[in-house]
Amino acid sequence: MQGTMHGRQDAVLAVEGLSVGYRKGNNILTNVSFDVRQGEMVGLIGPNGAGKSTLLKTLRGILVPLAGCVVIRGHETGMLSSREFAREAAYLQQNVEISFGYSAREIVMAGRYPHIRWWEGESAGDRQIVDACMAYTGVLELAERPIHMISGGQRQRVLLAKVLAQQTPLLFLDEPATGLDIFYQEEIFRFCREICAKGRTVLMVVHELSLAAKLCSRLMLVGRGRIISDGPPETVMTSENLSRCYGVPVRVVQNPRTGSMEIFTEPPSDDNRRTELLSTILGEGKT
Amino acid sequence: MKPGYFSSMLVFPILTASFFGAACLSLSWGQFDIPAENILALLCQSMGLPFLSDITVTPEQEAVLLHIRLPRTLVGLMVGAGLGASGAVMQGIFSNPLADPGIIGVSGGATFGAIVAIAFGLSETSFVALPLCALCGALVAVTLTVVLAMRHGKIPTMTLLLSGVIVGMMFGAITAAILTVLQEQKLHQYLFWTIGGLDYRRWEHVAMGAGPILAGLSVMLLMARHLNILVLGDIEARAVGMPVARYRLGLMAAASLVTATGVCISGNIGFVGLVVPHMMRLVTGPDHRRLLPASLLAGGAFLVFCDAVGRVVVPPLEIRVGIMTAFIGTPYFLWLLRRSQISMHGS
Repeated sequence: MQGTMHGRQDAVLAVEGLSVGYRKGNNILTNVSFDVRQGEMVGLIGPNGAGKSTLLKTLRGILVPLAGCVVIRGHETGMLSSREFAREAAYLQQNVEISFGYSAREIVMAGRYPHIRWWEGESAGDRQIVDACMAYTGVLELAERPIHMISGGQRQRVLLAKVLAQQTPLLFLDEPATGLDIFYQEEIFRFCREICAKGRTVLMVVHELSLAAKLCSRLMLVGRGRIISDGPPETVMTSENLSRCYGVPVRVVQNPRTGSMEIFTEPPSDDNRRTELLSTILGEGKT
Repeated sequence: MKPGYFSSMLVFPILTASFFGAACLSLSWGQFDIPAENILALLCQSMGLPFLSDITVTPEQEAVLLHIRLPRTLVGLMVGAGLGASGAVMQGIFSNPLADPGIIGVSGGATFGAIVAIAFGLSETSFVALPLCALCGALVAVTLTVVLAMRHGKIPTMTLLLSGVIVGMMFGAITAAILTVLQEQKLHQYLFWTIGGLDYRRWEHVAMGAGPILAGLSVMLLMARHLNILVLGDIEARAVGMPVARYRLGLMAAASLVTATGVCISGNIGFVGLVVPHMMRLVTGPDHRRLLPASLLAGGAFLVFCDAVGRVVVPPLEIRVGIMTAFIGTPYFLWLLRRSQISMHGS
């Protein structure tokens, strides 16, 4: 799990002894260390509240590390200016709320912000990049529509285009596919795979375990205040690991037809108390 | 072109025309009407241009124009433009279309400064004393608001909003306390000041307001693209590499300075800073590079137009502009709001 000295040299992202949380003395994750190499597509998985999003926010500098350090391409992130940081790493937050009816194109153009000096306006080059990003994610025809009038799946494509327009070597995506139709979900993973194949590096929080197992090159299982398991999907995605982490019996079965993993929890055993509760809820025995 | 917004080709010519049109109306209307061609003739003759030399401008007309109408109109244009633009900036900073330029305690502080000047009789010693005191009050209030909201170098907008309200209340209470012990004649003076007006504005007011208002407006216009990013929210703005606190503070300082100066030279004029940016947003869309210039032009035009109408509507009385803005603006704004709701939800 720990990178060798040589491994640290070519790591795009090196994390050393990192503790994250919203307040000092209230660590959500403690003493986390890992390296990510160029071209990896890392999926952060784990139960709700395990600290995946907090870790991602800290890596991107939205939260201050409680301890330890984050090094991106040889630069310690604490030493980078806001602008330099934004040219190294992009961040797609969960549930973006945007008021005032900005159009999709204006949102994507925001991704060019760190590349434009403060007194300049957007150049033809910037516009070309924005158009390319929107065409790539298939939302160019929605460019002039206000973002709040765009459906969830299309919206997420717009936000992905914005993150791509930032042209950073490293991308942090917080649940980019959650809540979308299966088609949009897989598509977002495919976009990420394509850019990783071209040498970009993606770290994403994922809730869809089987999609993560199928499409990520590496998984990190986050839980109990640390990273429980880190490696290729087949070594991380085991019944034992998942059961320990999620706190309920989880089964992982490889579908012999498709070769992909199927993950499901075992139903809790029926007891009398539950049957009673259910009959109260359903209004039985009232008459 | 974006659907729902007027074409940019038309918006700015129309706004510019109304800006100068309102200025012309304001120069020509009043107890003593001056025909527009005489105004133009005076302008041409004073600049030595060879037009309209056949029209003679009487000395009386010249005096009214140069010493009464022109400074009054200029103050109106400046204050209106300032309130319009800083309203748009504040709405952007707070990501809230209901924000008003006075939201962070500017008006409360200015009123406090004014009442101090009135209570101690400073306003009778020199007529710049009252505006200066009001300006100091406004700046103290804004500084206090920001200091109260600042935590670890960050200024969360929600805290800022709350501390603005609290600072405003505190200054309101002190003002009320002073009012209770004031003589009647001074009370009258205060009442007159709180209902903003452009009457008796002189060149000194123009000189006093021009520097801060023009400086603040230029800063806001230069920062328009950054404001677009700031409006997306704290985390979005930081994710694309904006040092959020610095820009928010800078923009807020500019908007507060402009608002404070406006309040100081013409009293509290409500409505312009709230409604003009709102109206303009329906016309230009949310891009501040279009919204700010549009709000600036529309704010100036609207305020001066209201002032001109207030002068002629019930002669020989003059209705103060602070009252007129609300009278003229409210129905129009309601109509606009209903129309936009219909187009958003209906059909």
